[in-house]
Amino acid sequence: MDNRLALFVQAARGPILLITLGFLFAILQAGIVSFARTWPLILIVIGLTKLIERAVTPQGFVQLPPPPPPGGPLR
Amino acid sequence: MRARGSLTGPLILILIGAVFLIHALSPNFQIADFIARYWPYILIAWGALQLVEVCFRFVMNRPLPVNGVSGGAWVLVIFICLAGLVTSEFRRPDTWWRLAGLERGVQAFGEEHEFSFDSLQRPTGKSPHLVIESFRGNAKITGGDEQGVTVSGHKVIRAFEENDAARTNAQTPVELLTQGNTIIVRCHQDRTYTRTSINTDLEISLPKGASLEATGAAGDFDVSALAGDVDISSENAGVRLQNVGGSVKINTRRSDLIRCTEVNGAVDLRGHGTDIELTKINGQVTVNGSYTGSISLRSLKKPIKVENLRTEFDVQQVPGEIRLERGSITMQNVVGPTHLTTRATDVTIENFTSSLDLNVDRGDIELRPGRLPVGKMAIRTKSGNIELALPQAAAFAMTASTEHGDISNEFGDALKEVSEGRGARLEGSVGAGPDLNLITQRGRITVRKTSGSETVATVANADKPVQASLR
Repeated sequence: MDNRLALFVQAARGPILLITLGFLFAILQAGIVSFARTWPLILIVIGLTKLIERAVTPQGFVQLPPPPPPGGPLR
Repeated sequence: MRARGSLTGPLILILIGAVFLIHALSPNFQIADFIARYWPYILIAWGALQLVEVCFRFVMNRPLPVNGVSGGAWVLVIFICLAGLVTSEFRRPDTWWRLAGLERGVQAFGEEHEFSFDSLQRPTGKSPHLVIESFRGNAKITGGDEQGVTVSGHKVIRAFEENDAARTNAQTPVELLTQGNTIIVRCHQDRTYTRTSINTDLEISLPKGASLEATGAAGDFDVSALAGDVDISSENAGVRLQNVGGSVKINTRRSDLIRCTEVNGAVDLRGHGTDIELTKINGQVTVNGSYTGSISLRSLKKPIKVENLRTEFDVQQVPGEIRLERGSITMQNVVGPTHLTTRATDVTIENFTSSLDLNVDRGDIELRPGRLPVGKMAIRTKSGNIELALPQAAAFAMTASTEHGDISNEFGDALKEVSEGRGARLEGSVGAGPDLNLITQRGRITVRKTSGSETVATVANADKPVQASLR
């Protein structure tokens, strides 16, 4: 368990979400189930990856802050 | 060390480029169709590649990106989703704007130019085989007493300039080729270099012994008085057939109406469409596909098999009528054995013979066999009321059960009623007759007697249950 593993899980979240999204649209396209019934899966996937991320983050390790927006601080 | 840029972006770009390149090189490649169908797989491929890359970097101890998919990439993803949804919406046959008839308005670029062409004639035998190669436009094919084939008609070309239209007209002559007994009509619409839209409307008359094989891109077919087989396949067509001696095969990807009247051979319908009307068919009838409108079957002499969306049924003969609409199916005067399986649909079957096997997911069932002797019945529904009206003199062995609901019975003590928890059972026999098995998981079961006049005039049924409950 190190920071690197946490970073890996964080980096993998985007692609996993993308695959889920593609999968949902693919089954929508095939006419199997409508998106209205499957969208909660996206929330579940986000939640799961967050959970895994939390599990592998070592105690006391501070997450990297998100990069500041390009136009400087908002206010 | 700065992490090198991702591999995925370039790969996706190459993929998209390749698709468009194929489109540019081969005109038959329907790019809109392709994108409309497969765009979600772009997302999946992208995600998978990115995931592989992240795993690879992790294993090789290379620096990891903060986010697997960056903010800018998400914007692109949303753009792909929107574009994909819009394209697939445009490809769907039953969108609201297409139903509202706005399509013509969308297509109305340029001006319409009309060109007629000289009628073409070829002598033929008594029963030639006519082949119409894929074209856009309407075709009217009529059999008659003539000795040869005559093709006439006109072209409608949409272009911005008169010159373009004239050039397109010159590029797309209608040709009539003879190969033995086969006559081929070729419209050469694929020769147009520019993407001007062209519709060739054909009027063909030929000896009545002829058979027909036609392929269409978009346009209606109107066929009458042919003694041979008819085989039509089209991307989008309304088909009207009348008085065909041979068998009929129709395959459509989109259709507003398929109507066949007076066909001597088998009728086989496949694909997607809206309404179907089959009347006076002497051969077997097979319907297999998804037709979203109403299906009406009348006067069919041979076995019928229908598999449409979530409804499947087969009947041996239909002297009366079967109507299948969204949410209801009605059969009147049919010859069994009958099998019917359906989802959320109310079922009414009147005046049927032989055995009946019925499986309904959700829907009320109303049965009036009307004739004696009563056939064997196996009726099941998960949720819905069952009402069975039997003639006074009927002989049968009844087993009826509802898990949640009550049973009313007009046959008196011969049938024993037991209530079980929230449901009820009805068992017993009247005379010696076939098994009638009625099962509903949730709903009321009514077993009642028909009066003598009811078998003839089915309208009188409406007030009968009211009388029964008043007594």
